[in-house]
Amino acid sequence: MSDQTQTTTDLGSAPAPGSVELLKDTLKRCSPKTIDAALKFRETKDPSLVSAIVLGIVERFLEPEMAEKLNSGDDSLNLMEDLGLDSLTMIEAIMMVEEALGVSIKNEELISLRTIQDLKEFIDMKMSGSRTESKGVFYPLEEIAAEMPHQEPFLFLSEANLDRASANGCYRITGQEAFLKGHFKDNPVFPASIMLEALGQLAVFSLLKGQIDGLDRSSVNASEVYFTGADGVRCSRICKPGETLDLEVSLKRLHLPLAVFSGKITVGGEKAVVVEEITLAFAQK
Amino acid sequence: MQRRKVYLTGVGFISSIGNSRSAVLDSLKGLRHGFASYPPFENDPKADVKLVSAVKDFELESTDFEDWELPPPYKIRREYLRGLPPHGVYVHCAMQQAIEDAQLSEEEYSNINTGIYTASAGSPKSLYHNMNRMRQLGPMRCPPTGIVSSISGTLSFNLVASFKIQGSSCGFSSACASSGHAIGFAYDEIVLGRQERMFIAAGEDLNYESVLPFAGMRALSLEGTPSRASCPFDTKRNGFVSAGGGVVLVLESEEEMMRRGATPYAELMGWGQSSDGYNVAISHPEGVGLSRAMELAISSCGLVASDIDYLNAHATSTLIGDASEGKAIKEVFIDKGACPKVSSTKAITGHGLSLASALEAGIVGLSIAEGITPGSAHINEVDPVFQGLDIIQKTENQAPKIAMSNSSGFGGANVSLIFKNPN
Repeated sequence: MSDQTQTTTDLGSAPAPGSVELLKDTLKRCSPKTIDAALKFRETKDPSLVSAIVLGIVERFLEPEMAEKLNSGDDSLNLMEDLGLDSLTMIEAIMMVEEALGVSIKNEELISLRTIQDLKEFIDMKMSGSRTESKGVFYPLEEIAAEMPHQEPFLFLSEANLDRASANGCYRITGQEAFLKGHFKDNPVFPASIMLEALGQLAVFSLLKGQIDGLDRSSVNASEVYFTGADGVRCSRICKPGETLDLEVSLKRLHLPLAVFSGKITVGGEKAVVVEEITLAFAQK
Repeated sequence: MQRRKVYLTGVGFISSIGNSRSAVLDSLKGLRHGFASYPPFENDPKADVKLVSAVKDFELESTDFEDWELPPPYKIRREYLRGLPPHGVYVHCAMQQAIEDAQLSEEEYSNINTGIYTASAGSPKSLYHNMNRMRQLGPMRCPPTGIVSSISGTLSFNLVASFKIQGSSCGFSSACASSGHAIGFAYDEIVLGRQERMFIAAGEDLNYESVLPFAGMRALSLEGTPSRASCPFDTKRNGFVSAGGGVVLVLESEEEMMRRGATPYAELMGWGQSSDGYNVAISHPEGVGLSRAMELAISSCGLVASDIDYLNAHATSTLIGDASEGKAIKEVFIDKGACPKVSSTKAITGHGLSLASALEAGIVGLSIAEGITPGSAHINEVDPVFQGLDIIQKTENQAPKIAMSNSSGFGGANVSLIFKNPN
């Protein structure tokens, strides 16, 4: 039996977050080669070590015959079906990968990793910061309405997809919008001013939920984001009920408390509105 | 209407007095205790507990399950091991033993007519370790099986998954009466025709966190001499010895047993339960709840008190608990002119809390099958409060015809089980 000091220490404290001790403790049942690679990686950040670390961690969870399979070099092997890992084991392995490589992997990302190749590519992209893997984060109307200061009947964003540098969204013109009765009589045309508003709303949403470098989104006060200006607005297409406005804004500059975006609306691929600059002013908590 | 009959057809023991049917039998015959000193307490001035009743040959002290060592022939696959608390390991092994003992094939236990009821208070050690880690490193750095290996349903979650149980399953949590309730309700499940076969799985950790809280309640004996540390009914009893381990029982309907041609240990005739409604942790001084549980058990089996010829008492070696059980026994038996032999096997097993009732049911079944009546060890001088009871101090070479087994838990939860010799 372990001595009592050992027992009490085990229960009393885990090694400090980020420490080499925690890394060693986390990887203690991996091969010495894997541990060496992880320690070296922590110092050098050499991306050529990543593959060995990730495969070493996966191997640690495999029955011996499966480990042989893994080392055959066939990257198309399915982690669950071919190697017998279940989703709990995937979580255990991912926890180790996170600790070893200093990355953070989300549940929804985890679900899409099916093969060794998926895993390798995914980690590579994580490490290089490449955005090719990122299709952004999708938000349905319910989530948008929950975040935004704008609400019915003045919310002109049905869906949004936020990426690090740009935001896409759409608004479906239902024909039930009250103002269409008067804009215009017997000829409902979606107002250009509201199209500008829709782009502004997408920009607001990206401030609140997107990942904008240099901005802590949690510091943005949702109830105080105001439209302060628009430059270079060109409208080139009439938009009618039943059509969907595809919205896009990109951050051009951030000078707190101002954020400047460019914006564009297309309908079925046809250019409808271009805005060179939309400026928002916002308060921080 | 004729009630369906239920039989005990398999037992698995991982206990301080033996990790097999034959080892447990030897301990009962020779009244050999399973107590030893516990290394983590030895140099700890805060832990003034000298003896524990620990399982031998298993090494489960580490908080990392991959450090654990099991004696041959036991081996648990990693995917099952990671969800287990320390006592889950004992119980998993006891389950393997019970399945083999009852000679059940996988098709016979993994089907919709076979269920499992479990008794465990969870693992305070695993819970503490996991919560501590979560506070220090955050939830994303905690094992995904942290909850299922810690909380009180742990035995159900794990055994159902690893043994592919498809019938009824749930856990019981009435402290030291837990596995008594599990057995009683498993019996009902079969009598009601809902299941043909039920496993009862009970277990208890044995570690710093499982033992010492009971020292804080002043419930443990601090004696260093085994015969003084656990001596139910003795004048000098002063608390119990904590036990860990795992026990699994197999109950089957008569039809299913006959179909398989299995040999029973004993018939489980029926049971009774009752609550004291008195105190959160102290048994009723007059034993009112326990005597009602015993009476209900006797009448539910269509028996009278004098039909019972052996009583395996709950008696844990505490001053108040043993005395109140003694009063209950007097009221139910002695006052009605009945005088069953009485013993407490906790004198050699210690007190296994959630495990206790299942362990003792296993012991009673084994005694019936092997033709013995286990004695009450470690008595130097019977406390006069038990005057009139036939407390047997040596194991006798004669099986009881009809035996009763008592269990009482916190809050005054009492369970009495009645077993009949099938021969």
